[in-house]
Amino acid sequence: MNFAVVLLALLGSVWVLAVVEGWTTTGHLRPAAPLLSGLAHLGRESIVPRTPDRVFFEAAPVLLLIVAVLGAAVLPLAPTLVIADLATGALFINAALAYVLVALIMGGWGPNGAYAMIGGWRFLGQLIAYSMLIVMPITAAAMRAESLLNSAIVTSQAGLWNIVYQPLGFVLFFIAATALAFRSPFDLPTAAGELAGGVEAEYTGARLAVLRLARLVLVITLASATTVFYLGGWHGPLLPPWAWSLVKTLTVSSSMLLAGHHLPRIREADLLGWCWKLGIPLALLNIFVVGLLVLVVP
Amino acid sequence: MTSDPVMTSTGARQRQKRFAILQKWISRALAHNLSCLIVPGPDVALAHGLDVMATGMRITATPRDAGVLLIIGELSEKMSEAVTVLYAQMPRPRAILLLGGQTPSSLPSADVSAGLSQEALTDATEWLRRALAEGAFATSPEDFDASVLHARIEYVCPMHPEVVQDEPGSCPKCGMDLVAREAGKDECAGETTAEHGHHHDHEHHHGHEHHHGDEHHAHDHHHSHDHEHHRCGAHGHSEHDHSGHDHAGHDHGAMGFMSMVEVTRDLPRSADGLAMDWIEVPFGPVFPGLPGGLKLTLTLDGDGVTEGQATSLVGMATEGDEVDAGTFVEHLASAMPLAPVSYRLLACLAIERATGLEDDPATARARASALERERIASHLGWLAQLGRQLGFAWLTHRASALHLDIRHASQPQLIELGPALQALATRLGRTPLLKARLKGTGVLPAGSSGLRGPVALAADEAGDAWTRLWQRLAEITASLDVIKTTGEPELPVLRNIGHVSGVGEATVETPRGLAQLSLKLEHGRIKSYTLDTACSHHIGLVAKLVEGRELGDALVAVGSLDLSPWEVIS
Amino acid sequence: MSALEQYGLLLGLVIGTGGVVLGLYGLARALGPTRREPGKDVPASSGVLSRDPVWGRYHARYYGYALLFLAFDMEMAFMYPWAVVYKEVGLVALLDMGVFLAILFLGLLYGWSQGALRRQ
Repeated sequence: MNFAVVLLALLGSVWVLAVVEGWTTTGHLRPAAPLLSGLAHLGRESIVPRTPDRVFFEAAPVLLLIVAVLGAAVLPLAPTLVIADLATGALFINAALAYVLVALIMGGWGPNGAYAMIGGWRFLGQLIAYSMLIVMPITAAAMRAESLLNSAIVTSQAGLWNIVYQPLGFVLFFIAATALAFRSPFDLPTAAGELAGGVEAEYTGARLAVLRLARLVLVITLASATTVFYLGGWHGPLLPPWAWSLVKTLTVSSSMLLAGHHLPRIREADLLGWCWKLGIPLALLNIFVVGLLVLVVP
Repeated sequence: MTSDPVMTSTGARQRQKRFAILQKWISRALAHNLSCLIVPGPDVALAHGLDVMATGMRITATPRDAGVLLIIGELSEKMSEAVTVLYAQMPRPRAILLLGGQTPSSLPSADVSAGLSQEALTDATEWLRRALAEGAFATSPEDFDASVLHARIEYVCPMHPEVVQDEPGSCPKCGMDLVAREAGKDECAGETTAEHGHHHDHEHHHGHEHHHGDEHHAHDHHHSHDHEHHRCGAHGHSEHDHSGHDHAGHDHGAMGFMSMVEVTRDLPRSADGLAMDWIEVPFGPVFPGLPGGLKLTLTLDGDGVTEGQATSLVGMATEGDEVDAGTFVEHLASAMPLAPVSYRLLACLAIERATGLEDDPATARARASALERERIASHLGWLAQLGRQLGFAWLTHRASALHLDIRHASQPQLIELGPALQALATRLGRTPLLKARLKGTGVLPAGSSGLRGPVALAADEAGDAWTRLWQRLAEITASLDVIKTTGEPELPVLRNIGHVSGVGEATVETPRGLAQLSLKLEHGRIKSYTLDTACSHHIGLVAKLVEGRELGDALVAVGSLDLSPWEVIS
Repeated sequence: MSALEQYGLLLGLVIGTGGVVLGLYGLARALGPTRREPGKDVPASSGVLSRDPVWGRYHARYYGYALLFLAFDMEMAFMYPWAVVYKEVGLVALLDMGVFLAILFLGLLYGWSQGALRRQ
């Protein structure tokens, strides 16, 4: 039962996010747009490029979708509303999201096209930049909760949300999550202006539909992770817990989209430089500060 | 416009009897989800005053995502070839929407054809939606074929296999006549690149000998290759299926084990000393963010550019028949879609100087006002392109909207739009990542000559993309001030000159730099003319500009020059 | 649920998602096969037909960062269990991990000074 409800909530959030994305690009709110868009993609031909790496080419969109769904499966919407509340949930999310890289490199190498290949390898550089900034704030959240259980991390925020307790961690995690979901201003692998679509460029038809769906699910998963780790999950007055989770998730994901609309793309060398020279020292500082706070504050 | 919406059979998919109902729903969904690829580019669409997003179509970056090929204006022959390739790469169902021109001969006839105006575009889109809703699946669609999609004839020197040209001639190295050879599927350049990729695994296949029928290579020539000009003229093998993992068809007979040092001995090295595979990638005529019609070919080492070359596929030729003065003005204005008013003014001034007509101050003021209005519009169009390059969606939307408002605005309307333009500039100054992205990008090498217009004015300080951005924003403000004093803008119109003869010369400061036209008039007809534009000089700067840069920086640098490929005189 | 049941459920989710994707592919295929036409399968290169394969040794310029990343990634593997028992163990835990992190951080600073943290 939980299974179905969580998946339904995931689909619903993806739908809302797709409508919001449509609104940012066209300025109109069209509720039926995601379904029509999906059908239109299915209706188009699926072209396989010449001499591809067939395994990689086929695996990339599927893997991206599976990864995103797995990540969402371990995140709780309400105290018992979760598909699989793993004892090592926080670690599992990180492990699952690491496969986003694998999917994108497969998607870049598979089609045997220049733009896609460059996009794929660029994402590897992006991973090296954001990866530590995902892991270290999660560790800091786990320190406060004394557990890697996602629901325990949420219950530890009953009194004070982590965004207030460790604001530095929140900022770093939010930025790194936007980079993981390769949304603007970190959309190096699928840049239109630099790579004419990059990794997405050689996919058509049903595969493109799956790839685009996977991208949206990935944003929702990351927004949900931000909610669970930093925004107090389901805590909040008046509304039922699952409603708060959904509201917070959709707010975070919409802000990821909107932020990108108003910023130019960052150069890969700049991203790596900022993350390693400023981001990682700040993340280490965050862990140290949280360590002191956990010991000192009862 | 067609009377009944009909999809050409080369655009539709095969109708299946069993799934007819499903296909009907999907056709409706396709009709609601039009995505178009604009040829030559969205900058040209904007320059003609078309707002494609307002019709409900989504603008795509790649033909793979597009359902509609939106062709704007007449296409030159080289552009037609590129457009044929793009059409062939679009997934079905696909349609062609032609605005203001003739269908190129290599494409099937357009599904909808209309004039160059916003109303025509909107109507055409409606027709297209109906055509797609009914005809997306046809009973017996034909395949699309064109000669450009097949092997081309290349001309190779028998002595120097690396010398390849598209036209017959003689080899620059030894002077021998070039021999015709089929290219296309037999290109060995990439195969050798792929084979270098296989060399990693030689240690695993040490001692193996794979004989694959007649696909027998001689590997002794691998060491002495100049990697960039790679052609296997002596080989006659057919295309290999080089999958990344299997080595079927790879003959190791004569080779044995090769260490990485040996493999990379003669390859060119990058700045950090590593010898990696370089690939030649076109950032061709229809690339989002670059001016439509500009073909940029970059040799990439990873994501850094080692060399680059820019050509224009839509440049104007100065050879032509004698035309009468009025036709000449129209011809010149329509040949430069990104700055039609400037070139119309240039032609009018040159002809009037040739006939000795004096400049009437009121007309001169109106013309100057129109020129300045076009300068503002042109710079806004450039800002929209910059937004596309940088993934800065807000800038693209805002600059496009302002451009469309300004194009035909009267003086009071322009003055009203002043604060909006100022707000745009302020917002750009406050955008967080923009300065870091543009500063230091596109620095012209010292001693670059032939600079004109904003590029030249910005070169006085540091000469990078950031200063050029601010130079153009400053020019927008300055133009607005000029318009306030000179009065109502009026398009330049050629005054009645009669059948006079003479020689005339005029210069106009176009939005991209100084342009100079000198012509010879004979009995009211233009006998000959020479046109010198800023972009003809600027395009030569591209090679030096992109060398050694990261890919994104190289593209932004080329974009910051604000090249108009139409103004490159071939 | 026991951990095994949970992982089983997740595996089921993986297979289910794969199944849904295959179903979508099947649906798209049912609508009609892709027509093979000349030039259609060449990767889109903005109007130029380039059939050459592009696979080869890609010059990744972030290898300095990548080496340091490996070190920090190994460290993060240690930090997960450490974070869970941290509050229990107390100050000693902070000092232990602090020393480890300080050494790594010094390594980062050294790498920075030697020019590892730049586009190669």
